[in-house]
Amino acid sequence: MDTLEKVIEIVAITCDVDKSEVTESSTVGDFPAWDSVGHLGILSKVEEAFDISFEPEEMMEIEDVKDIVDAVNNKLA
Amino acid sequence: MTIEEQICQNAIRHPASIALITPEEQVTYAQLWERCLLAATNVRRKYGLQKGDRIILAASANIDFIYAYFGIHMAGGVCAPIDPDTNETRFELIKNSTKPVCTMGVLHKVAGTQTAPFSEVLTPCDKIDPYQTPDPEQIADILFTTGTTGAPKGVALNHKNLTAAALNINTFIKNTAEDVELLALPVSHSFGLGRVRCVLSKGGSLVLLGSFANMKKFFEQMERFHCTGFGMVPASWAYIKKMSGRKIGEFAGQLRYIEIGSSFMPIPDKELLCELLPDTRICMHYGLTEASRSAFMEFHSEHDYLNTAGKASPNVEVKIFDTEGNVLPTGAEGEVCVKGEHVTCSYWNETPERFAKDFYDGYFRTGDCGYLDAEGYIHLKSRIKEMINVGGKKVSPMEVEDILNTIPGIEDCACVAMPDPEGVMGELVKAFIVSKDGSLTDAAIIEALRPKLEAYKLPARIERIDAIPKTASGKVQRLKLK
Repeated sequence: MDTLEKVIEIVAITCDVDKSEVTESSTVGDFPAWDSVGHLGILSKVEEAFDISFEPEEMMEIEDVKDIVDAVNNKLA
Repeated sequence: MTIEEQICQNAIRHPASIALITPEEQVTYAQLWERCLLAATNVRRKYGLQKGDRIILAASANIDFIYAYFGIHMAGGVCAPIDPDTNETRFELIKNSTKPVCTMGVLHKVAGTQTAPFSEVLTPCDKIDPYQTPDPEQIADILFTTGTTGAPKGVALNHKNLTAAALNINTFIKNTAEDVELLALPVSHSFGLGRVRCVLSKGGSLVLLGSFANMKKFFEQMERFHCTGFGMVPASWAYIKKMSGRKIGEFAGQLRYIEIGSSFMPIPDKELLCELLPDTRICMHYGLTEASRSAFMEFHSEHDYLNTAGKASPNVEVKIFDTEGNVLPTGAEGEVCVKGEHVTCSYWNETPERFAKDFYDGYFRTGDCGYLDAEGYIHLKSRIKEMINVGGKKVSPMEVEDILNTIPGIEDCACVAMPDPEGVMGELVKAFIVSKDGSLTDAAIIEALRPKLEAYKLPARIERIDAIPKTASGKVQRLKLK
């Protein structure tokens, strides 16, 4: 499973929506559950899934699925 | 003077001043007033609203919501703002209780209910109804809290209550017409909606952000509109800190004030805010929907009292009573009770006799236990009511328990508050269950709860025990589970 696929799965589970509804441009606020609590939940599950840890300044830049994927890929590079 | 009349005065004196800001537009006070009058006309004509009729508002920080909210008041109606994430059971209870002429906004978890979009209030009209001054004693809002049984309890606030609360808050925080406030709080709750009234009654500007979730946007808007203040709950600060570190400190020069909502906030968090914002009035309130912002404490000038809930707000009296309704002396522990024009005028659909039991000698009983020190600072000890405070949102343990008890395999259960290990939400729900069904997993329990409860009410931890501790009369002893 590549990074995008895994991130989409995490967003879908956290926001209680179907995977098909989540795209690379899905962003904070697009789903009712993607509020601040949902955002934290998504980021902590991403950290766990890829065994990485984001710094606050990295987290602040994350607004959408693509940002999460880029941040993960940067960490893993 | 009602909040609406104060907005009218602002529109007359400073018609070109900016009242509302969104990424798409800036609305002056003159435009705000015109649109509220149009909204008042539309709610009368479209929904047949008459004096005292209710409209449920699935409230989001949408600019049209603001027009609808004030327009309904101006048409003599009563607003019942609810969270757009309200579940179906709760919505039905609120609907049956208020019998609204319509529901406006978007409900994410309620299927099959027709709601009107807020934008309908701006439908052009040939003739706008003239403004009629509302009766200060008339109910303006019904805010539904979570009662001890989990059933929604309607707190009625009349125009006089709302005006008094805004005056008390603005007096303490020292808000002015020059303020530009970034609104990221939910407007379905007392705190966020109160901020809207405070800023607009004072003639300031409100930047509608809607939530703290996108921190990049939060700081962008803060910079773009040169915001001078905002409101947050302790969970928001934990979030801001986690997501952006010390960045808020870069705005120390422009932030005149922050209002913080009442729930537990660790002292190191308060100290860090003081360090990052040395010249900002950081005002933490203590209050409840029934008695909004009954006490205040400012972090810098009252630094020695950071561990207290502050002192009575301007125009508010706080006393401690024993269970017999006698006033207790300084230092003695009892129920914190408050008196002032901001205190709720009634509970919706409750008899005056029942409502009177919520008062001791004209002082509203908060349900919180504490004492007053010699300086008049309130020291809170515990909650008499057993609500769980998840990031500022109240959860009744009984509401979660009632649904847990319907899951096959669960014989008994009890829910209590547990500290959030991440330190973000303050408290989380912890469920204790009694079950002999070894195949019943935690995940299956959560999945069974999910369709019936808002996400923040779901237990963060489930523990299995042999029996729920109870009194001889069968009452759950939740304190023994903590």
